[in-house]
Amino acid sequence: MRINLRSRVVGAALIAMALVVGACGDDNGSGGDTKEGPTITIGSTNFGEQLILGEIFAQVLEANGYTVERQFNLGSREVVYPALTSGQIDLLAEYTGSLLTFKGGTPSTDSAQTAADLQAAIGPDGLTALAYSPAQDRNGFVVTGETAQALGLTALSDLAAHNGELTLGGPPECPDRPLCLLGLEEVYGIQFFGFIPLDVGGPLTVAALEGGEIDVALLFTSDGVIAAKGFVLLEDDRNLQPSENVVPVVRDDIVTAYGSQLTDLLDSVSAKITTAELSALNKRYGIDAVDADVLAGEWLAANGF
Amino acid sequence: MGFFADLGRWFLENWSGDAGWLVRIWQHVEVSAVAVVAAVLVALPLGAWLGHTGRGGLAVVSVVNIGRAMPSFGILALALPFTIWLADTVWFIDNGLGFAPTFVALFALALPPVFTNTWAGIRGVDPEIVEAARGMGFTGRRLLRDVEFPLALPVILTGVRVTAVQVVATATLGALVGYGGLGRYIIDGFATQDDVRIVAGALLVAALSVLTEAMFSLVERRVVSPGLGIERQTTVPTPETRFRNGEHPEAVLS
Repeated sequence: MRINLRSRVVGAALIAMALVVGACGDDNGSGGDTKEGPTITIGSTNFGEQLILGEIFAQVLEANGYTVERQFNLGSREVVYPALTSGQIDLLAEYTGSLLTFKGGTPSTDSAQTAADLQAAIGPDGLTALAYSPAQDRNGFVVTGETAQALGLTALSDLAAHNGELTLGGPPECPDRPLCLLGLEEVYGIQFFGFIPLDVGGPLTVAALEGGEIDVALLFTSDGVIAAKGFVLLEDDRNLQPSENVVPVVRDDIVTAYGSQLTDLLDSVSAKITTAELSALNKRYGIDAVDADVLAGEWLAANGF
Repeated sequence: MGFFADLGRWFLENWSGDAGWLVRIWQHVEVSAVAVVAAVLVALPLGAWLGHTGRGGLAVVSVVNIGRAMPSFGILALALPFTIWLADTVWFIDNGLGFAPTFVALFALALPPVFTNTWAGIRGVDPEIVEAARGMGFTGRRLLRDVEFPLALPVILTGVRVTAVQVVATATLGALVGYGGLGRYIIDGFATQDDVRIVAGALLVAALSVLTEAMFSLVERRVVSPGLGIERQTTVPTPETRFRNGEHPEAVLS
């Protein structure tokens, strides 16, 4: 509710600004015009980066006169994807590799190939993957600095030497996911002592790793908390994790309704998001507790949108 | 019908092992039982004593109102950093996730209703009976133990029963902080959109709650003095029942 209310306040402020700009002179161009057409409902799943990305796309669309609604904090991909295909949401910031895996495809470390395969996989569902961003957010397996030093861990393959000793913590869906526990078992031959279901790369997982309740945590590689807490990201030396470029996935009917005016705008935003900037945004969200809408607004302003 | 067939198959295939429902039910019962017992051990003597002395009326109202206003989920979130810290400092707690925060949340949930019902039950004992008992020489602890407590027992046990049912239903939340129990099926089922697992988990929680209710009702019927039924008001005591306690026959006679 808090985020919704804040979003509405910011949204109202942006509309007010748009009106002022519009009133100042019509020669200003297309910037503040209200677009005719369907409302664009923007979704997000339930972790910080998703909220920030959702806000970035929502605010840039609002600033350009599109009518936007927010459906944030939805659950995992199993919840969000059907919402997208059924039209409950129209736009979602996705990750190329994970979504392709979800659709039964096999992503590679080649970003362009993965994105092309993704478009082929989701096209029949009436969805379009717009241009992907250079920013990547992979599943990362992380240990504390002390654990890394004590056990001599730098890469994921080092974990197999400690089979049956370590506890993994991650989202509840991890044991069923090829890019999570299943992949660690099959590709690296790692057997954990146990798995504790926690949250999706969130504060619970971080607290459990810091407190020593778990030894290895699934976090996201773009998570600012990794550097801030001195965690060690284990290198994915057998390339289990594919390309995971951030990509806005949009319903075809929205693309048809607004055409290249919309897609060009979103593509230009995606192009400006880098992994480093995403990490910095995540750090400010997760550690400095700045709200997603504020971060998104600042980022857009700093990048000239 | 396909869904119910899947559900039936789920129950047949998932009863054994670490994630099977037998183990999950046991985990669920374990944390619930420990929380209720701990709450009874703390709240019952305290409530009984305050009820007996007549002190603490304001405290009771405050405790109950605060207790009711605090959502268990919030307590769980508050308990987590605390239990993780405890696990680092106290030697006999080795894991700050799972059982510990779940227990703290359920204990906090169970305290107020056990406490209030005990207090209210003791306060609600007919003052004339208490007066009569005092006249017969009952004082202090004996008055509480032999007169007030047995008379208040139905109210006290109702409090424990309602609390236990609530605790069993709420123990589901433990899955959010890495505990096992039946909530695991609901949380994990939701994360993987496995409707069969969600419904199976919900059914098991519901069944366990109903079973808890039934079990406590049975205990209530066994433990409460048969003299405390409705007959109490209408039946004239026969000589046998008058002497049944046998402690002070002469006092009763006089």
